[in-house]
Amino acid sequence: MIQMRDISKCYQLGGEKVHALNKVSFDIGNGEYVAIIGPSGSGKSTLMNIIGCLDVQDSGTYRLAGTDTSKYSGRQLARLRSTHIGFIFQGFNLLGRLSALENVELPLVYQGIGRKQRRQRAEEALGSVGLADRMKHRPAQLSGGQQQRVAIARALVAKPKLILADEPTGNLDTGTGSEIMDLFGQLHTQGNTIVLITHDPGIAARAQRALRIVDGKIQQEEDQEG
Amino acid sequence: MQSIQMAFKSILSNKMRSFLTMLGIIIGVASVVILVSIGQGANQSVSDSIQKMGTNLLSVNINMRRNNPITLQRVQEMRTLEGVAQASPVSMSSGTLKAGLQQYEDGSIIATTPGYDVIRNYTLAQGRFLTEPDVSNRSFVAVLGQEAAEELFGSAGVVGETFTWKGYPFTVVGILDKIGTSMAGSGDNLILIPYTIGERLFQRKGINSVYVSALSADEVETAQESLTAYMDALMVGASSSTTYNIYNQTTALETLNTATATLTLMLGGIAAISLLVGGIGIMNIMLVSVSERTREIGIRKAIGASRRNILSQFLVEALVVSLIGGLLGLGVSVLGTYLLSPTLKMTLRISPFITAVALVFSLTIGVVFGLYPANKASRLLPVLALRHE
Repeated sequence: MIQMRDISKCYQLGGEKVHALNKVSFDIGNGEYVAIIGPSGSGKSTLMNIIGCLDVQDSGTYRLAGTDTSKYSGRQLARLRSTHIGFIFQGFNLLGRLSALENVELPLVYQGIGRKQRRQRAEEALGSVGLADRMKHRPAQLSGGQQQRVAIARALVAKPKLILADEPTGNLDTGTGSEIMDLFGQLHTQGNTIVLITHDPGIAARAQRALRIVDGKIQQEEDQEG
Repeated sequence: MQSIQMAFKSILSNKMRSFLTMLGIIIGVASVVILVSIGQGANQSVSDSIQKMGTNLLSVNINMRRNNPITLQRVQEMRTLEGVAQASPVSMSSGTLKAGLQQYEDGSIIATTPGYDVIRNYTLAQGRFLTEPDVSNRSFVAVLGQEAAEELFGSAGVVGETFTWKGYPFTVVGILDKIGTSMAGSGDNLILIPYTIGERLFQRKGINSVYVSALSADEVETAQESLTAYMDALMVGASSSTTYNIYNQTTALETLNTATATLTLMLGGIAAISLLVGGIGIMNIMLVSVSERTREIGIRKAIGASRRNILSQFLVEALVVSLIGGLLGLGVSVLGTYLLSPTLKMTLRISPFITAVALVFSLTIGVVFGLYPANKASRLLPVLALRHE
């Protein structure tokens, strides 16, 4: 699913060159549940942005589901994001002016799917995260856990090849965080490929495999059947 | 379709701001439409009043003090010229008319001959117009306008009554129909008397002004040419070629039309500036909206929106704002012209042309001033936009 070879990325920070990623290489297979773990400033956010096609690497090749993204234009990357990747953010990132249902519909809007089918699929996705009775609510009227469920439904609705979650439990209390993690476990058993970015070893332990990243380098790979 | 819906949602979510943004366009469109309508209304009322005077009207003015060759006999001859229907000499004065205890001072006393009624399209309410015998016999008779008749005698039957001017008694032989007010002032204050009487009482010899009507509006040119030839023949040996001139209403109409067209253009131009200011207002608000919604743009991009999606979202929003503003502005101008018409004493009509121009212009402004912020929004990098708090 993901094939990274010698990926590097530099940032210009206050006149100083910062190597956020330094020749990172790894593979993630179809249907895997992988955690990328590292302290803040380790480069894991940069890595996630590149995996998610939100940012482009300076050097190296990145293949997502077999396609080499390095030569893609902004428009092609947008298309790739819309069809291949479902994002889940720490801060939920729902649009406050839209209802839960409309938020979930949004990715399908950008895929140009008709209103009727959009509605039906969004309702299904919300149902699958247990929010069938909250569809007309706006994000502000939902609890943190419910908002993250809406965000997960939004990530799932386009049936992406990869679910990319950035600190999905960071803004939640332990109990709700645990519920969300259970949901991820469920998604994995349903056959979804999941990449989870976190600084919390406890969260990372729920994944099949963890990639530890420190100072822009993959330090070790650890298998953990859990 | 989808982006129009999104645009409405975003406009409605910030009603006060959207309205204030639209206000610029509303005022701009309304002022363009109203001011241009006023310009066109002025144009219309000027040409109407000229039309009322008769488009086939010509006037010959003679600037000679001595050896003026024009006599009543020659005016008669003018009537036989090619293209000419009628010709009458005109001499004007004013003064105080008295009938019993009533006095009338606002009258315009015009000495002329029969045929003047035809030239000016006057019709009679009572009695008769001046006749040839009135002129040749130097009879003290008069035809009065409605206002003059009412001021002197009240509204009842007036024909046969007498009034005095400069001590001479005049008998009223006819009353004109109501003429109404034109830009030349009231048309109902006329006192028409035989030309020969006028010469005597105005103490003016000779004929300095002749009103001529052409057979039709199309024959004005022919009449003017034959009059010119006739006058040139009479003026042979005169010291200057500027001894007379001939005016026709078509020339006057054209002159006035250019004047009012310039006026309309100027008013429209001034109003267009306010429309431009309205457009800048849209750009301003859209830019604020882009930076306010940076995060939203980032989210939309992350879940698959392309540059084009974002561009069209903001552009459509600017367009919808300016279009709604334009339509509201049209509504305001319909109301405005309706309310202004009585005050300005002219019928203001909003022409479809200016309506279309104002709407197209406001849409163009929406595109032009929406494009920059929309482009700015679409170029935001998703990573940076998402990081934005």
